[in-house]
Amino acid sequence: MQKLIKFLASLGNPFVSVILHLGGIFNLFLEIISSLAYPFKKPALIVKEIYFSGVRSLVIIAISGWFVGMVLGLQGYNTLQRFGSVSMIGSLVALSLLRELGPVLTAILFASRAGSGITAEIGLMKATEQLDAMSVMAVSPIKRIIAPKFIGGIISVPILACLFNSAGIFGGYFVSVVLLKLDNGTFWSQISDSVSLHEDVINGIIKSFIFGIAVTLIAVYQGFIAKPTADGVSSATTRTVVSSALVVLALDFILTALMF
Amino acid sequence: MQDYSVIVENVTFGYSEDTPILKNVSLKIPVGKTIAIMGGSGCGKTTLLKLISGQIKPSSGSVIVLNQEITKQSNKQILELRKRIGMLFQFGALFTDMSVYENVAFCLKEHTDLSESMIKKIVAMKLNAVGLFGTEQLMPQELSGGMSRRVALARSMALDPELMMYDEPFTGLDPISLNVSAMLIQKLNKALKQTSILVTHDIESSFKIVDYIYFMADGKIIAEGSPIDVQNTDNPMVRQFIEGKVNGPYSFEYKTNLDYNAYLGIL
Repeated sequence: MQKLIKFLASLGNPFVSVILHLGGIFNLFLEIISSLAYPFKKPALIVKEIYFSGVRSLVIIAISGWFVGMVLGLQGYNTLQRFGSVSMIGSLVALSLLRELGPVLTAILFASRAGSGITAEIGLMKATEQLDAMSVMAVSPIKRIIAPKFIGGIISVPILACLFNSAGIFGGYFVSVVLLKLDNGTFWSQISDSVSLHEDVINGIIKSFIFGIAVTLIAVYQGFIAKPTADGVSSATTRTVVSSALVVLALDFILTALMF
Repeated sequence: MQDYSVIVENVTFGYSEDTPILKNVSLKIPVGKTIAIMGGSGCGKTTLLKLISGQIKPSSGSVIVLNQEITKQSNKQILELRKRIGMLFQFGALFTDMSVYENVAFCLKEHTDLSESMIKKIVAMKLNAVGLFGTEQLMPQELSGGMSRRVALARSMALDPELMMYDEPFTGLDPISLNVSAMLIQKLNKALKQTSILVTHDIESSFKIVDYIYFMADGKIIAEGSPIDVQNTDNPMVRQFIEGKVNGPYSFEYKTNLDYNAYLGIL
């Protein structure tokens, strides 16, 4: 009987822990919001974070975008050929990138390239008592460390997503026009006909802005609650990447349902 | 009436109710004195420092630091109070993404409106005081353990705090660095007329530089007095600690209900 009760009680644990984490993240979010004024007084801090998480992700984002665009071009070409509408390929590539693949893949790549680094850095600062030292010196680590990283992240992600989209469209162009000899003018005029600035471009940027908030928030939160040991920091880093990917995909579904 | 920098009265603290880390601890630290808090690992020394710096609040009792009751302060007031307190962490806790200069200048840049050229001069003076003038451009990774501890000392002194706390300042230092650090602490203390609290295991160095010693065990203060008093005490726990004996009231074995012989199957 005792065992049964224990078992039944343990069923609730995952839910309780999810709710605790949500509460923790929300709390941290409010604290970050209330200390946002600080980093804007010291823009150098934000610039540094944009450099570390944004600028240093440029190459991986551009290359990934290029390849995703090429794959879209190839697959699209094969499929559209059966219906004799190869000329549509420009709009296929551009719309898939702008609406879905650009924001989603950028956010996931950002989580693994920069988010994991943010988590590890904060976790290690905690393990080596740097966060304690800072608060003993009467400087809140949330203001000085976390808020600039947060702002850097949410500025970087939408810009990276735009880069991903552009690289992807050129990838699609490379496959369909350069390799498969589709007409150059058809490719671009299809894009300019089918893509609407508000529907597709702006909505995609809004999406990636929201993903940016989610991914950066998860990264700083995981670093902040990491156990101050080698083991704790490594599992926090893993959790950042895994939960960012899940949250981004789930949010994407919700946002798509709302927007389009 | 004598002025006190820190008054701790009947403080009890624990992260959970059943396992208190500090039990009814009281101590008074007069202004300008250097005191040591000693005891075996896990006796609650570091927790006491955290209480004094307001990082944690006591479950019961009162902590008065620089004439302010910590338990009754808002977070903002505690931040203001901390600007008057310096703390040296066990391994320095230098910010690893900043140079030595930026580390020492950190508090000055955050809490004062001094010009960059003024800060430069103050940093040079602080580094000179710990014998490290000229290391401004180095990164913490390029420093030895003893050097980074001294940089951290310069950093914690940057705002000329009235109260300095040292968390095991001598752990892991070679004999020379150890003596250098002890001498520095004493020198800075006299020069700035600070009150200092040392949490330490190191008996020899601290006996040389402190005015008063508190001995802790199991979250309680078991003995106190001047270094001479403590050296001549007959409290068995303190004697064991000073002489470093293996056998005595302190046990190095983990307390367990398991019977060792029965566990191995020896009857």
